[in-house]
Amino acid sequence: MATTPDGQNVYAEAVATGLWREIPVFRMLLGTCPTLAVTAAIKPALTMGLCVIFVLVCSNIMVSLMRKGLRPHVRILLFTLTIATFVTIADLFLRAYQPVMSEALGPYVPLIIVNCVIIWRAEARASNSGVLLSIVDGLAMGVGFTIALCVLATIREVLGTGCLFEIPVLPKAFPAWAAMGMPVGAFLTFGLVLGFINYVSRKRS
Amino acid sequence: MLDSLKHFARESWLLVVASVLCGLLLAATNAALGPRIEVNKALKLTSLAGGLLPSAQAFVPLSSPVEVKGLDGKTESAVVFKATADDTVVGWVFKVVGSGFADKIELVVAADASFSKLVGYDVVSSSETPGFGDQIKDAYYRNQFTGAPVGQLSLVGLGAAKEQDIDSTIVAISGATISSTAVVQAMNHYLPQLKDQLQQKGLIGHGNNP
Repeated sequence: MATTPDGQNVYAEAVATGLWREIPVFRMLLGTCPTLAVTAAIKPALTMGLCVIFVLVCSNIMVSLMRKGLRPHVRILLFTLTIATFVTIADLFLRAYQPVMSEALGPYVPLIIVNCVIIWRAEARASNSGVLLSIVDGLAMGVGFTIALCVLATIREVLGTGCLFEIPVLPKAFPAWAAMGMPVGAFLTFGLVLGFINYVSRKRS
Repeated sequence: MLDSLKHFARESWLLVVASVLCGLLLAATNAALGPRIEVNKALKLTSLAGGLLPSAQAFVPLSSPVEVKGLDGKTESAVVFKATADDTVVGWVFKVVGSGFADKIELVVAADASFSKLVGYDVVSSSETPGFGDQIKDAYYRNQFTGAPVGQLSLVGLGAAKEQDIDSTIVAISGATISSTAVVQAMNHYLPQLKDQLQQKGLIGHGNNP
């Protein structure tokens, strides 16, 4: 079994990296544009997360398969081509089977093409690793991204509407904070959660 | 020359192969999902049309194609539905496409049975700026079209006319002239053509009567 220079299993290292050490939204501050835009409710956040997992895994597989033929000056072109293909497939699938959600997400699904998390993993992992490790990496990073979206969306939807998955979870007496559904709520929640994550990280280290 | 070609092939073969594969993958996906996407669009169109013509019981697509010239001058097949209630025509519903600020604006427009007055419109899809151009979805702008005569609508600035007047004058959305113009321009471009086509097919009368 392959190990990292410090003796850790490479697959376990990839999972830990994606889910905590380099979790895209909270530790690397990558993909913040869709993070702020689609986290007003949990359903669009979850849909966006699943789309990103699909695109990450598929593009990582493709890039890993092509890694021996990559030339420096066409590398980025190939990454973009691969990512754009899978994003378009995800977009078409949503328009066919989840038209309401596709409309709710608007331009943010096509914009996954320029999500730096995907190209980051293509460059940092898939272009120099085997297919299996690239799949594990894509899954871990995608799940990490989805967890981050869902954490923010849960806070915003519950405080903003009193519901979760559109099901009431707070007593009717609770006044819904409409601001949580607006951009100001997105920035506020994101900042507070980031502060909490940094606090926990410092405590641990 | 031969060396250059060899160098080009060596450096770019993977890009060419990947492009072909990705193209094939996209074509296959589009072929598989395209019909379902079209069905979803038609369902949305008739659902919006139901809001514009609540008295209609059914929206029947025209059996023969209606050819119109698009904004780019190319001939296209228009999507036209006959709205009926108890086998009587209560109106006409069709889709028009305008050129908005960010992207195309797709509208569903309803006209009365004689195709002389507009019943209203709704937005099927648009990517106009929230808070500005996307006010074309708001009732205060849309209501100006209700009862307006089918013909040449004119767009005027705020204050030049009253929004509640039922005439061919449409008051633009403040700060969103391009989006306001796109809606009016699309109506002016498509409506006379559609009316002419329906008259030629004998589906509506040549005057104001059906």
